[in-house]
Amino acid sequence: MNKNLNSVVISMRRILFTMLLALLIGAVCILCIKQNPLEAYAALVRGAFNGKLRIGNTLASFTPLLLTSCAFVIAAKAGAFNVGVEGEVFLGGIAAAYIGINWTFLPAPLLMAACFAGAMLVGALWAFIPGALKAYFNVSEVCVTILMNSVAVYITSYLVNGPMSAGVANSQSKPVNVTLPQFMIPSSANVGLFIAVAVVVFVIFMLYRMRFGYKIRVVGTNPQFAEYAGINPKKVFIQSMMVSGAIGGLAGCIEILGVHGYFLDNFAYNLGTNGMLAALIVKSNIVFTPVVAFFLAILHSGAMGMQQATGVPKSIVDTISAIFIIFATMETLFQPKAGHVLKFFTSKRTSKREAVK
Amino acid sequence: MNWETIFNTSLVYATFRSATPIIYAALCAAITQKADILNIGTEGIMLTGAFFAVAVSFLTHSWILGVVVAMAAGLVISMIMAVGHIRFKADICAIGMGINLFAIAITKFLLNSVLGKRGTFSDPGIVPIPRVHIKAFDSIAVLNTLFNNWAVTEWLVIVLIIVIWFVFYKTKWGLHLRAVGQFPMAAQTAGINVTAIKYEAIAISGLIGGLAGAHLSLGYSALFTENMTNSRGFMGVAAMFFGNADPVWTSVGCLVFGFADSVGNRLQAHGWPSQIVLLMPYAVTIAVLAVSMASKIYADRRKKSSLLSAAA
Repeated sequence: MNKNLNSVVISMRRILFTMLLALLIGAVCILCIKQNPLEAYAALVRGAFNGKLRIGNTLASFTPLLLTSCAFVIAAKAGAFNVGVEGEVFLGGIAAAYIGINWTFLPAPLLMAACFAGAMLVGALWAFIPGALKAYFNVSEVCVTILMNSVAVYITSYLVNGPMSAGVANSQSKPVNVTLPQFMIPSSANVGLFIAVAVVVFVIFMLYRMRFGYKIRVVGTNPQFAEYAGINPKKVFIQSMMVSGAIGGLAGCIEILGVHGYFLDNFAYNLGTNGMLAALIVKSNIVFTPVVAFFLAILHSGAMGMQQATGVPKSIVDTISAIFIIFATMETLFQPKAGHVLKFFTSKRTSKREAVK
Repeated sequence: MNWETIFNTSLVYATFRSATPIIYAALCAAITQKADILNIGTEGIMLTGAFFAVAVSFLTHSWILGVVVAMAAGLVISMIMAVGHIRFKADICAIGMGINLFAIAITKFLLNSVLGKRGTFSDPGIVPIPRVHIKAFDSIAVLNTLFNNWAVTEWLVIVLIIVIWFVFYKTKWGLHLRAVGQFPMAAQTAGINVTAIKYEAIAISGLIGGLAGAHLSLGYSALFTENMTNSRGFMGVAAMFFGNADPVWTSVGCLVFGFADSVGNRLQAHGWPSQIVLLMPYAVTIAVLAVSMASKIYADRRKKSSLLSAAA
């Protein structure tokens, strides 16, 4: 237990150092365009937390990130690098919108359930493709999922501009007939947040207390051993991709039913990508992932306020989170002992010494 | 539908034209792949190159400087990836994606703050890469449509394919590179500096990736748009898988994607919805990649079984 706690402290410290470093580099960028970084960061925090509306919107932007990061983690536990969550969110959204608009013969609770089921099914089927291609033909899932994201975005864009168009100037669909109740009005926070939290709790339980989660982790750690132990790694790999896709679809459904109320072209831009960011920063540790997802949600929902209050463009936020991830992926940076950045500068000497040993 | 307006001689150049940026990207990915490093960051390297090419060309009115700075920017970005991956043991997919996101963000940031533009930057002050006009071809219609007015970098890509093929298979460095990729321990035992080779591979890949971006923004077009690479880098990586990192076959794969792209553009004139046309190259890429990997596995299996039956 003590050892466990120790590793938690070490990884927390790592995350904190990396976060500070990223914010520092961000500050340098802001200085370069002759603005005050402290002012910008203060405006960012104000933009995220000042008033009920802003807090609500921060929570609303936290909801999809929670789900998409969780979706990425599940796939990662089985050894997959599922960049396709983005596309799954889009397709889940369009499926939910289609059902919500057209299946009016169902009573409201059933219609809601149908929306969720439809979105999750579509997401799962979409994720089945790269999963199966990787498992059976060894096609790089990174490459396929990224390309499939573009395909998904274009498909939804075609539908919302063509067959499903509401016929107004914006490319959007007709309103859906069932929505998730909102709270903290006028912000777009909605009960989807609680659904998302429940899903994450369930996923943690599944990964560490259920047979299926165990199978996923075994396959992710050592597929050969899994096969020897009687687990079919290919099947589990595909299943985990499908679960990941289903959660992605769920995120899209919540966005449509909870935030927008209709399908809006390009509505989920970067939701999947930012979820992936959150997961990558903590190396798919599912307990820390929501924390980072929340941090990213603050950055993103505060960005607009910062852009309006100061002269700093909101793209600085994406820059900071990208720097965050680049440093966070460097495993041996900020190592507990002797490590530190100093090591980099004295690298030649140390590597020689290591060679002598 | 009139087929002749879609399939005619000018389609050959249209295919090559849309394939060229992907070929550059694929070569960028192929070099590191030979050292067994999957260059997911191709997209980001390319995007950074594209931005700096346009920015420098606009500020200095020199396309050569633009290309050089783009290559340098590609080198810098790729070196971040190299240091992260080799020195600090970052997972290559993770840091590659980080690089891609960083490139999208930083180019957007610089576009907003330095050039003061949002979305797209196009200006008559941007000097594009010149096109080669061969007077002798003017009178011969076929040669004129096929070979005239290529951008310099479009001719250059053919040279580059040959050079890289030569380097891979005919030079000592290429042999070392492939040895590092196939069996790093054996390579080290043979006295090859594995780390140095990996750094060199990523560095060269960065230079080519920067060139890919410069071609995209200054040769293929003369503007910069946020995220203008639009997954071309990943198509390049897909082509690299298709061609097994062999420069010639990789380029053939790119031509297939370029073909899908240019046929799509022509179909749009026949009333096909633009979104369907736009998704075609991506769908074709996935399909081609899946089929090629499946057939590779099938071929491997057959090879193995023939060995077994020979032994028996």
